Amino acid sequence: MSAASTPSRALRGRLWRLLSRLASLKLTLAILVLLAVGVVAAYLSDTRTVWALVLPLTLCAINLMAAIASNGIFRRQLPLLVFHLCLLALIVLVALGRMTYLKGQLELTDGTWFEGQLSAVEAGPWHFGRLDQVRFASDGFRIDYDPGMRRGPTRNAVRFLDASGAVGQAVIGDQTPLTLCGYRFYTSHNKGFAPTFAWTPAGGAGSVTGSVHLPAYPLHEYRQARNWRLPESGIEAWTMLQFDGALIDPERADEFKLPAEHVLVLRVGDRRWTLQPGQYVVLPGGRLTYQGLRAWMGYTVFYDWTIPWLLAAAVSATVALGWHFWRKFASQPWDGVEVPDGDGNA
Amino acid sequence: MLEAQQLWAAVLAYVLAGSGAIFGVVLRRNWQRLILGLMVLGLACHTASIVVRWDRLGHGPFITMFEILSSNVWSLMLAFTIAYWRLPAIRPSAAVVMPILFLMMGWLLMTSPKAGHFPPTYHTTWLFIHIGFGKVFLGAVLVAVGLSGVVLMRATVWGRDRFQRLPADGRLDELAYRCMALGFIFETLMLIAGAIWAQDAWGRYWAWDPLETWAFVTWLTLAFALHARATSRLSPQAASWLVVAVFVIAFLTFFGVPFVSTSPHKGAV
Repeated sequence: MSAASTPSRALRGRLWRLLSRLASLKLTLAILVLLAVGVVAAYLSDTRTVWALVLPLTLCAINLMAAIASNGIFRRQLPLLVFHLCLLALIVLVALGRMTYLKGQLELTDGTWFEGQLSAVEAGPWHFGRLDQVRFASDGFRIDYDPGMRRGPTRNAVRFLDASGAVGQAVIGDQTPLTLCGYRFYTSHNKGFAPTFAWTPAGGAGSVTGSVHLPAYPLHEYRQARNWRLPESGIEAWTMLQFDGALIDPERADEFKLPAEHVLVLRVGDRRWTLQPGQYVVLPGGRLTYQGLRAWMGYTVFYDWTIPWLLAAAVSATVALGWHFWRKFASQPWDGVEVPDGDGNA
Repeated sequence: MLEAQQLWAAVLAYVLAGSGAIFGVVLRRNWQRLILGLMVLGLACHTASIVVRWDRLGHGPFITMFEILSSNVWSLMLAFTIAYWRLPAIRPSAAVVMPILFLMMGWLLMTSPKAGHFPPTYHTTWLFIHIGFGKVFLGAVLVAVGLSGVVLMRATVWGRDRFQRLPADGRLDELAYRCMALGFIFETLMLIAGAIWAQDAWGRYWAWDPLETWAFVTWLTLAFALHARATSRLSPQAASWLVVAVFVIAFLTFFGVPFVSTSPHKGAV
């Protein structure tokens, strides 16, 4: 025996003992308890408690890796090995998903194109997506209401540019998102009215068309007004939509629709106007034309490339576990079950 | 109303079956065939009641507390009736299971049967798959808790005397373990199907809403119980307490969360 091999063997022995400790089945039980406590703590806490989940999941991944590497049962029982590998894959995928996901919201006026801007966004630090390349437009929507103003199905016609740049068409809503470049766009329950204006600067520059998204309807039925700022002029304006009666009849089945008749109240400073579609007002710096009323639809957008892999890992884990239990239980009928001995054999 | 009469008839048959099971154990009488017949009769009436209501409202029993309780009493009775029919040796465990179902039936009869709104996000096949898996899970755990209840009651002199006809604790424990394993598979499938549905319906596969959170805690508790049973030499009594713990958490998840949430998945409808 050489002098060099003895410390090497000792080191290997220490590493093996460490691996065995990390693979401990009692540690697994402690980790499951820690994870359950972490889940409940995160659920009950008002603040972000990411570490309550990250710590036990990290420990769980280490425990799983150590067990797979050192526990001989995984070489004798393939289904058990597959199940534990899938669990490990799930933890890794969830971690990767949280680092690369994107969740956001946007509102789109009928007839206008989405050009990559979100009104609210939350993303993982490694999200380098292609949202700026996504293009779609809403061509209007229909939402049914049951008596009592209970929202029914949403059907939103959209146009989009596909990967080749060709224009495609689809109807999305409720269970059916629009998926572009991995981003899933879902209609939300937020929708409302969008008075549309054209602003023509006095200097002769080209006019700019835009919409003001009034608060969601019918959620904010009695607050159909908001402040906004005219483009590149700094002028503050206040707009209110007025119409008679309830647009959605609460007594019968109905649907979301634009008011047949309405007026738009516009206030700039101390001056106030009542406008019909096509009418305009002259303001310092330009002319503001009320073009008419459209609808806007709110969308949520979600990106997580791990979703199909998570599904594959979860289904594989379940199949493997079912296979394991089947092999374990099939040898004895349920009505003649015997108590297994210490090796798990009946 | 026909559906109410059918439901009352079902509850009456269940109560007679359960009472027969309890008094059969207490008085050491063998009324098993009668009890099985009453269970099947109750299930037939209950099925008719659910079908009539489904036809009247145009949607299944998935929305209100009344519907959730009714459909779960039905599925739990179905699961236990199958176990009662296929595993004659464990039939006296009905004396443990039926009082649990009595509680649910009492709660059901005190709940308003008023119809609820069927949200557009519920118009999906995944609703049936998700709920179906959940019902198999809870049914399997109910059978396990019946067996575990017998094991725990046999720790007393009275229980040992009354449940002596059942197989030994070790065999009951092994059967309960099998039921828990079956329940674990189906709870996992329930979570997967729920995540697929949530992704399509609400744009996220998991959002830690009250029901998702407590369903995951149930999954962890069940994983703990199975892991502890497989890796440690637990006594049948210790393993039985774990089964009871899993059932309590699962029961609170299924029927307690609606008390803290306005809908099965709060904010998601």
